[in-house]
Amino acid sequence: MILTVTLNPTLDKFYWVDHLPLSLERVEEEILIRAKKSDSSAGGKGINVSIFLACMGVETVAMGFLAGHTGQIILRDVLKRGATANFVWIEGENRTNVTIIERGKEYHPVKIHEEGPHIPERAVEVFLRKYSRMLKRAEYVVLGGALPPGIPVDFYRRLVRIAKDQGVRTVVHAGRDALREAIPEGPYFVKPDVREEAEVGGLPARTEEEIIQAGKRAVEQGVEICLISHHVTGDILITREGVWDLEARVPLTKYKNLVGADDALVAGVLYRLVEGDTVLDAVRFGMAAAIASAEIEPKLCLSRSAIELEMREVEVRRKEGG
Amino acid sequence: MKARELMRRDLTSVEPDTPVSEVIYLMEQAGLSAIPVLDDEGVLVGVISERDIIRAALPGYLEMLHSASFLPNLNQLSKRLKEMAPEPVSKYMNPDVIFVHPDDEDLQIADTLIRNELKQLPVVDDQGHLVGVIRRIDLLYRLS
Repeated sequence: MILTVTLNPTLDKFYWVDHLPLSLERVEEEILIRAKKSDSSAGGKGINVSIFLACMGVETVAMGFLAGHTGQIILRDVLKRGATANFVWIEGENRTNVTIIERGKEYHPVKIHEEGPHIPERAVEVFLRKYSRMLKRAEYVVLGGALPPGIPVDFYRRLVRIAKDQGVRTVVHAGRDALREAIPEGPYFVKPDVREEAEVGGLPARTEEEIIQAGKRAVEQGVEICLISHHVTGDILITREGVWDLEARVPLTKYKNLVGADDALVAGVLYRLVEGDTVLDAVRFGMAAAIASAEIEPKLCLSRSAIELEMREVEVRRKEGG
Repeated sequence: MKARELMRRDLTSVEPDTPVSEVIYLMEQAGLSAIPVLDDEGVLVGVISERDIIRAALPGYLEMLHSASFLPNLNQLSKRLKEMAPEPVSKYMNPDVIFVHPDDEDLQIADTLIRNELKQLPVVDDQGHLVGVIRRIDLLYRLS
């Protein structure tokens, strides 16, 4: 079973518009934008990973905090997609993240992300008890996304330590301080995105050379798979065995919705790892899942055949290692 | 149709030492009328329902009369609920849980729900771990 943790779940709301008049130079009383189409679904990195895995037939349990009416909608969607849910309920309301996608500029979406509800100390206690219990049945645990208010910055580090003590492999699918704090604990798999923040584990990661050095440092600290996204179509894989450059040979104009593509990547890698693939083959499949997801309007591509087709578009080049 | 196809894969639950106040809060937030109680291993050890809490909070003679119309107001109920608030749910839960297994058939599930006048049935695996819940409405929805 693959356990996923989403401490700050979201209701992802998408609007597709013909034109986005974002210039505020012309003062008007209001700006009305009519959406051609809209869609909403349960989200947050861990939840997206669970939804992908459930659709691939992998047993998965999604954990985290739910609140209010939005929490009910998120829960309903998670269950509908075949994942098992084991959330802690708190007061308030889960966040809604809005993405506006303009026709012809799909690779430059406009996003509005809410902060999410404050997590009380007692809810954290309840969560930790549930977490320890669920780990007994887990093979991997994915810690995904931003930390909500009330959660200390070293929380993922703590969750990695608890999981490692129980012999469960951990995946930290997060960025910024949460990832920086977790890396010294030696999670199995990390997926930083240097487009969000040009650093990995406290080291600068602006150039390719810096990215590789930062990845190698993470591997020295116990990380087995360090997969760093550095542009829309490119990732660098660093393991103890070597360094590889992965490139999606797909023009940006083919992309319809980039939200969730990195979650499809992580989920795809995990799916193939539990199926027994090598790390490199699993990463290739993950990258294909990300491309296939970005090429459709729904957040995640859940068609195995469509993903397998995209594997032809993933170019893998060894940069270092035997 | 088997239980695994009918069940809601929602593991919302409490532990035996969870205070009654938290159970009531969870029922309200999550919109549930009954919640499974699990031990440290995730094994089902009881179920706590709204009915169990109300029954414990009302004076014993009302149960014999099958009516609350003799109560002058709800002050006594409120006072009793406040007294129960910090107490562990294990004190009020039903430990004799009726459950089904993932491979049990819909006919057996319907019979169990009807015969025992239950609103929902926990589904547990061979080790006794909770894996889902089947509500009456899940069965009605799938059969209609």
